[in-house]
Amino acid sequence: MTRRTLRAIVSARLHAERRAIAFACATAAIVGFVQPHGIAAITDPLSADIATRSVWIAGPMFFCSAIAIAIALVQGPGRHAYLDASETSAPLFGRELARAKALVPAIASLLAAFVYWCAQALSGFPAPPTFFALAIACVLASGIVALNATVRRGVGRWIAMLCAACVSAGAYALAVYVDPPVKHRGDAIGVASELLFCAVVGFLALREYGEALARYDPA
Amino acid sequence: MTPLLRLRDAAYETRGELIVAPATFDVHAAERVARRCRDEREARALAMMCAALLRATRGSIVIGEYDPRVQPVHCKRLVGYVAHDPLPLARDDLPRFVEYRAALWEIDPVRARAHVDLLLERLHGVHEAFAYPLAVALLPFPQLLVLDRPHPAFAAHVLAAAGACAVLSTHLDDEGARAYAPDAAEVYA
Repeated sequence: MTRRTLRAIVSARLHAERRAIAFACATAAIVGFVQPHGIAAITDPLSADIATRSVWIAGPMFFCSAIAIAIALVQGPGRHAYLDASETSAPLFGRELARAKALVPAIASLLAAFVYWCAQALSGFPAPPTFFALAIACVLASGIVALNATVRRGVGRWIAMLCAACVSAGAYALAVYVDPPVKHRGDAIGVASELLFCAVVGFLALREYGEALARYDPA
Repeated sequence: MTPLLRLRDAAYETRGELIVAPATFDVHAAERVARRCRDEREARALAMMCAALLRATRGSIVIGEYDPRVQPVHCKRLVGYVAHDPLPLARDDLPRFVEYRAALWEIDPVRARAHVDLLLERLHGVHEAFAYPLAVALLPFPQLLVLDRPHPAFAAHVLAAAGACAVLSTHLDDEGARAYAPDAAEVYA
């Protein structure tokens, strides 16, 4: 697949979903402004650390993951029939098409996450860059896992959606609860484990999506 | 002469239901073949099978020298597929759509635009919603054009636009089939 083909698929999909993306960014801005940023005074440093992380990470991670899942689900067949028909009849391998289609929810959710972070910054409580990176990794992984639901029917579809939600929950648990017992390493273990988890899950989900697209039966 | 499309007892079934009954036929270069089908599902599935978009669950299909089960990408380079449903596209959106299709098939965008303009001239009189998908399907110069339940009223224009390209169409009635395969001795069913 050439860059031109990749760009054509991504830009056509983004153009078709421009209203949904604008709506996602607008809601991300609102939630970023209204999210509770303060935490109650806690004297125990371990509890304070967990409380701080959970407050900073929960909002962007869960909300932007929900956006990524929603935008991934609308990439399924039927919503833009002429794009689906063009992509399936084009001489492209399943894995190539999977990569191109995965970029759409990835770009849309990255945009929403960035808007969320900007809203936090404007309200005076910008999340630390590390937490922002953790949220982005989680959002990308859950969006790619959710794409698998678009090429499945019945129970398979629900399982894929459940997996996408579990990826968000798993990434959140790793980011928030892994580090505190190991004080001398700071955030390193939590950050590394969450990023590794999201990278592995995202890679496997993208491969599976490519396989599913290659086997997809449109009848 | 090696046929462009070869079906041998090719059937399609899903969830225990036989959608396409075993079919055996050939389509040679520049030939016009029309197939009359039982219902819409069979017509759609048969057209998609012949365009390498759907795998036969039984029997075999060969497009050119390729098996769509193993080499669908090679098969798709030889076949243009036009779905039954009209394309909901405004005239202003056509250049963008042509550019998009040209990028998918890696065709030069300027040549693609000129080719589509030429095809639309040949399809003058055909409703845009049916002319646009046909024009973009012919854009990469396919050897075989597969039409799913095309309108019989547009047969002359469609066959003229297809030129030397072989045409296989699926239909629900004899009238449509006769219109798209005027020289055929019999309409397959």
